[in-house]
Amino acid sequence: MTYHINYNFVWLYFDKFYWGLLLSLELAAISILIGAVGGLMLALVYVDGPRWARRLVAAYVEFIRNQPLLLLVYFVFYGVPTVGGFKYGPTVSFIITLSIYSAAYLVEIFRAGLDAVPKGQIDAGKAIGLTPRQRLLHVRLPTMFRVTLPALGNQFVSLFKDTSFAYVIAVPELTYAASWLGANKFRIFEGLSVAAPMYLVVCTIMFAILRRLERRYAVRR
Amino acid sequence: MMAATDNSAAIVRIRGLGKAFGSNRVLNGVDLDVARGEVVTIIGPSGSGKTTLLRCVNALEIYDEGSITLDGVEVGYLEAAGRRRRRKERELSAIRAETGMVFQMFFLFPHLTAAENVMLGLRKVRGKDKASARAIAERWLTRVGLADKFDSYPAQLSGGQQQRVGIARAVAMEPKVLLLDEITSALDPELVGEVLGVVRQLADDGMTMIVVTHEMAFAREVSDLVVFMDGGRIIVEGRPDEVLEKPSHERLKTFLSRLDSNRKRAS
Amino acid sequence: MEVALYSLPFLLKGAVVTLWVSAIVASCSLLLGVLLGTLACYAPAPIRWAITLYCDTVRGIPVPVLILTVYYAVPLLLGFPINNYADAILALTVFTTAQVTEIARGAIQSIHFGQIEAGKAIGLGFWPRVLYVVFPQAIRRFLPPWVNNLTDVVKGSALISLVGIVELMLQIKQVAGRIYVPMPVYIAGTIIYFLINYSLSSASRKLEGRFAHIRE
Repeated sequence: MTYHINYNFVWLYFDKFYWGLLLSLELAAISILIGAVGGLMLALVYVDGPRWARRLVAAYVEFIRNQPLLLLVYFVFYGVPTVGGFKYGPTVSFIITLSIYSAAYLVEIFRAGLDAVPKGQIDAGKAIGLTPRQRLLHVRLPTMFRVTLPALGNQFVSLFKDTSFAYVIAVPELTYAASWLGANKFRIFEGLSVAAPMYLVVCTIMFAILRRLERRYAVRR
Repeated sequence: MMAATDNSAAIVRIRGLGKAFGSNRVLNGVDLDVARGEVVTIIGPSGSGKTTLLRCVNALEIYDEGSITLDGVEVGYLEAAGRRRRRKERELSAIRAETGMVFQMFFLFPHLTAAENVMLGLRKVRGKDKASARAIAERWLTRVGLADKFDSYPAQLSGGQQQRVGIARAVAMEPKVLLLDEITSALDPELVGEVLGVVRQLADDGMTMIVVTHEMAFAREVSDLVVFMDGGRIIVEGRPDEVLEKPSHERLKTFLSRLDSNRKRAS
Repeated sequence: MEVALYSLPFLLKGAVVTLWVSAIVASCSLLLGVLLGTLACYAPAPIRWAITLYCDTVRGIPVPVLILTVYYAVPLLLGFPINNYADAILALTVFTTAQVTEIARGAIQSIHFGQIEAGKAIGLGFWPRVLYVVFPQAIRRFLPPWVNNLTDVVKGSALISLVGIVELMLQIKQVAGRIYVPMPVYIAGTIIYFLINYSLSSASRKLEGRFAHIRE
């Protein structure tokens, strides 16, 4: 194995790490966006919709949340194309997977946030004649966002870390760079020891930004 | 101001007490004697230092200057070979066992029943066995009117009932002085009476008490001494009828009239 | 269908491995996590900083990266190869312990300061306060999130398939790879994981209900 630790290959192929990190960020951004939109819509269905819709959403959320992400990644990449006749590359496959996964976790956060809007505020909105959509846009969502800011931020960072799973289907993100180094140059430890701090730095920056945002916008009722 | 009373009868002696939180001087030289069996009520606007004073007596806060002695023992510091040092946690625990405190927010232990709340100190601090602790707890809970609530959890009790458990928990330890920190301020008005009734009984039975309160009627009826504090000092000190009925000092007059008008406005 | 039935014995064999690995990781991380969580609240500053550093580091690295790093680092640091299973379990434990530490720390710190003052007021010393006032209340705050954490342990165990441990995840992958119709195998796998984790999260919900009478 790597008896003598040798970082030469890491610096030689550092562009893989650099572009890998960028790809990780892109994957996270796209999947979180899709997952957030989907999750918010599902949360609204859950809170405002009929009981059968609520059950469907709950079933979806329960099912996804009890699966290892790894299994979902394989499921979408190896399994689904065989029955659906779909054809997609690993990157698209992973984005689909992470979006579905994100939505399931974000629904919970949005739902709790919507429930936290004081009934009195909604009544006040009704009293001045706002339509349901207006109440949603001007009363409920603003409060919801401020209440859920901490949980949302933490979930986003978590989902960014989950982009690491993409390496198992050879998506060239940051973790894949380390794994590639291991498979082709037998230097997986060196690769990991560079990838790990890169993740750590990015996450630390994200948490710092989150704290600043929380200080300014988060609500403490 | 009254002259210091006969030393031998004073169970709590406060001399020149000073304390600051950061740059905020909360206590600015307080002198007070509390005699055995005496009920002293402290009144004053918020920020006057009255709660801090109370919390210094049982070392929940440590004062910076001056001294408090409880039955001859200095509460915050130890004189050893001419050096004065802050007491360590273990010494403070022993001192706190000799005082009792009832809190505005009750702070009953939610995971214990009423009886267990009272028994905890008896068993772990006084070292009593379960049976005797239980007997003592039941006796005190009965005295505060909660004979049917021995095995109820705090969540199942009303505010007034919880506070009475809090009183029982404090007096079961047979403290030398009982400290009451605005114990009715968090109660609904109709529950205040039951709690004050218990305190009145304890006073009649000779318990030494230092009470911080806004309930002027209570202060008038039960206290032996009323103390008005403002800006970290004692401004006025005297018998209840003197201090409350015929206030002489300007600040005291303003304080009392403000309380009065608030009460009138609220009713 | 027949495919799913064919795969079942292999999957169940894998599930057994998943379960006992999860059990070991859960117990070790429970002991260590509660210990570290307690220290994180009461120990002197250098120890508290070290624990915070540990937790923040784990929180800033993706799970796969962490598992792989520990897995490959341990033999390197020791200088000799160690048992596959032990290495993987160690890696999972490093990750999970950080989570349990945070749960424990949160539970202890959530106890209202007034409770501690009430304990002081009746003369209890430091350790008696911790034992008789803080911990009994903290346990009730600790258990529901911890049982939830158990599902994370089971889900995390799927990652050791990446280092060659044949548990449920790897069984799924291997069996699916042998067959022309992989979907039934994957579906069967998701059902097994669902059953395991759903029972754990139901238990967590029931626990939260049980402690409702200790509302303050």
